[in-house]
Amino acid sequence: MTHEIERRTLLQMLGLGVVGSGVFADSLVAYADGADAVTIGWPSDVPGWDPNLHFTPDAQPLYKLVFNQPLTQAPDLKLIPNLIAKWEMAKDGLSLTAQLRDDVTFHDGSKMTADDFRFTFFERLKSPEKLDIKNSWKKVKDIEVKSPTTAVMHFSAPYPTAPQWLAFLGSYIVPKAYVEKVGEKAFAEKPVGTGAYKLVDYQLNARSVLERNDKFWGPKPAIKRVTFEIIKDPSARVAAVQSGQVDITVNVPVREVTRLAHDPNLVGEINPITRVVLLQCRNDQGFADQNVRLAAHHAIDKAALSKAFYGGAAVPLSVPVTPGTPGALPDFKFAYDPEAAKKLLAKSGYSTSKPAKITFGATNGHFPSDFDIARAIQQMWKKVGIDAEIETIEYSKYFQLNRGGKLPDATLYSWDNATADPEIFGGYLLNAKMPFSAFKDPIVSDKFGALFGQTDYDKRIAGYKEAEKFAVEYGATIPLLQSVVTVVRKKKLSYEKFGNGWILANTMKWG
Amino acid sequence: MIATILPLIGRRLVMSVLILLIVSLLLFLVLHVLPVDPAAMSLPPTATIADIEAMRREMGLDLPLPQQYLIWLSHVIHADFGNSIHFRRSVLSLVGETLPATIELAVLSMIIAAALGIVGGLVMFHVRGSRKEPIADLGSIMLLSIPEFLWALFFILIFGVALQALPFTGRLDPQFRLPQGTGFLLFDALAAGRLDIFWSAFKHMILPCFSLGIAFSPAIMRVLRSSLIDVYQEDYIHLARLRGLSERRILIRHALKNAILPTLSLMGVQFGILFGGTLLVEVIFSYPGLGNLMVDAVRNADLPIIQAVGLAYCVVVLIINTVVDSLYLVLNPKLRVR
Repeated sequence: MTHEIERRTLLQMLGLGVVGSGVFADSLVAYADGADAVTIGWPSDVPGWDPNLHFTPDAQPLYKLVFNQPLTQAPDLKLIPNLIAKWEMAKDGLSLTAQLRDDVTFHDGSKMTADDFRFTFFERLKSPEKLDIKNSWKKVKDIEVKSPTTAVMHFSAPYPTAPQWLAFLGSYIVPKAYVEKVGEKAFAEKPVGTGAYKLVDYQLNARSVLERNDKFWGPKPAIKRVTFEIIKDPSARVAAVQSGQVDITVNVPVREVTRLAHDPNLVGEINPITRVVLLQCRNDQGFADQNVRLAAHHAIDKAALSKAFYGGAAVPLSVPVTPGTPGALPDFKFAYDPEAAKKLLAKSGYSTSKPAKITFGATNGHFPSDFDIARAIQQMWKKVGIDAEIETIEYSKYFQLNRGGKLPDATLYSWDNATADPEIFGGYLLNAKMPFSAFKDPIVSDKFGALFGQTDYDKRIAGYKEAEKFAVEYGATIPLLQSVVTVVRKKKLSYEKFGNGWILANTMKWG
Repeated sequence: MIATILPLIGRRLVMSVLILLIVSLLLFLVLHVLPVDPAAMSLPPTATIADIEAMRREMGLDLPLPQQYLIWLSHVIHADFGNSIHFRRSVLSLVGETLPATIELAVLSMIIAAALGIVGGLVMFHVRGSRKEPIADLGSIMLLSIPEFLWALFFILIFGVALQALPFTGRLDPQFRLPQGTGFLLFDALAAGRLDIFWSAFKHMILPCFSLGIAFSPAIMRVLRSSLIDVYQEDYIHLARLRGLSERRILIRHALKNAILPTLSLMGVQFGILFGGTLLVEVIFSYPGLGNLMVDAVRNADLPIIQAVGLAYCVVVLIINTVVDSLYLVLNPKLRVR
């Protein structure tokens, strides 16, 4: 005997499940692109709104809208005036005289003066707050305020890259009176800057909404309201731009850029930037032998990596510097030559049947196709007689592993240098006194270290070029590719491209 | 009834404190054996070894591990989880800011899972023994085998990209600001009398909640169907039929009421799993909840946040299980008789 529920009963119950379907009738989402508003799908949130507190590179394009730096960079990365109208570095590198603009006001209406400059780069560094800029400006001995628009920075040791750092991570002028009045915490909650936009709404891990500062001292941006939607998942960013929920997004997979480029309303771009992808090498363990290091370099077909993983847009590198920047060596090439690699390995008694064994670290998901690149390199090495065991490392643990001497023999690494200065490329990556360098041999390290105090610009650049070439030929580093930033945007939305990958909303316009 | 429930809650509270202590110890130990140095992580990359050593002393990381645990525990008891390494803000404020969003998401998802599960269970019971049964079985197994993140991607493609019918990022449309209040957005919007914000928040919750709800509904369907089959073998069902009650009345008044009890137990257990499942769904839908915060914390090796979020998950699951057990007691008179 079966005991069936009446069909009518069942249908009535099912009906409950679809009650409310009617409510969707008016829920079609309209995503109109307004002429004065733009929504940006951004891959990560700011860690906080105190720009001196954090060095996070991804947050800089947001900070640059609300705050201003003393100096900034043109799209071709040339250092140009900003809040500082004129500057002069002393020949001995021990002081920098800054002439500030006299027409700049903060969002609260107060005038920006040299006191704010002194507060940001000297007084604030003495606070108990763990500000990242304490580290970049630790050479500042004092800042002498000569007038409301003139200040002189005095350094305890020559600081030739001080102008570059005035346009780099964390160096944003903050209002002394406001910060002292409300305190550090309240300042981070309701930031006041001199930038082209004011922060009007911030929702942790969700969005930042900025509105144009109509009293901005510089060129008035075309876009009145900018919304950064924090979308961490690359597939969701692709879907968001495709559906029109955002107008522009970055760091989507290369294959998606190619696919979305066929959409008549969208434009996909793969832009090379001042970021290098390289192998950070140790000078001991499996990589103690120079022949093995050089063989490992000769065995890598960088053009093939670029074609396979970046649609050919990433330029193969021979030195750890991006093309077109001051330290670049366009005429120097380190050849892809598997036969040379085999010969070098044979000199040290290795072959495909008796391979050299090394450990190889790679991040997975830190930059596009990182782990896939590592696997491809592993295969290339295998063909010449290097047996690499890949281990995944977290990017955030790189420094700690390096400090503890626990990095693998080779580590696939991505290095961002918005300034494009060679000190912040080779100097930071290969000077053993810096926490980034895995190669501790003084023969290489000292060459870079000596240049940190070189105050003559031309000699400094020439020195870096020579040191980079030496480091590569010595097997201290294996530069791979110039990295790219992927951008997908609505066709009607344009923006100014910067060589360091900044996507700045104040340069955007519709039409 | 209250006299029966109160001792249960009392026992549960004592048990919960013990469980929390064990979980806190495990969290502390597991995170301290990881090759991560919180002192190094809290400083910029350009910090020197001397800076790191000074920070280690400041953070008490040079003390013996048991002492470190006791210090940490005493701070936690005073609701001080320390500062986030990445955000450089109080961890408690970060968790407090994000926890309501996740609870709201999980509760609505559970309601959807329950609704779909009960309706599906009834359908499966209805078609049992018929030619439609294998199809219903197959359908429920298929639903069971698709994880929530795949539903999420599928829904984004269909309702977000193809139909452009529903939003799939964040909690609100860009023109709205979060109303001040409890952090439970639907409640806050209603309390502020802002139906436009309520509607915007509701639309933003549809896809993430359905992704979680659908993924968790098949187990409820299958348990309800089995329970109904068992209940329909009971004498009181036959007696009800002999009394001439309609099948609809038998189902609703007698069978469903009894068959729902095992389903309720299952839902209690599932809520814990579903709460954990919000992690991926929150990332995919850019939903600013605890899961999203946890993903950031793991990526940045932000140990204070990982510890606090781990404990927060544990507390929520313990509370829900206590509520479900109390409900079970309310609904099942047999358990109230000693």
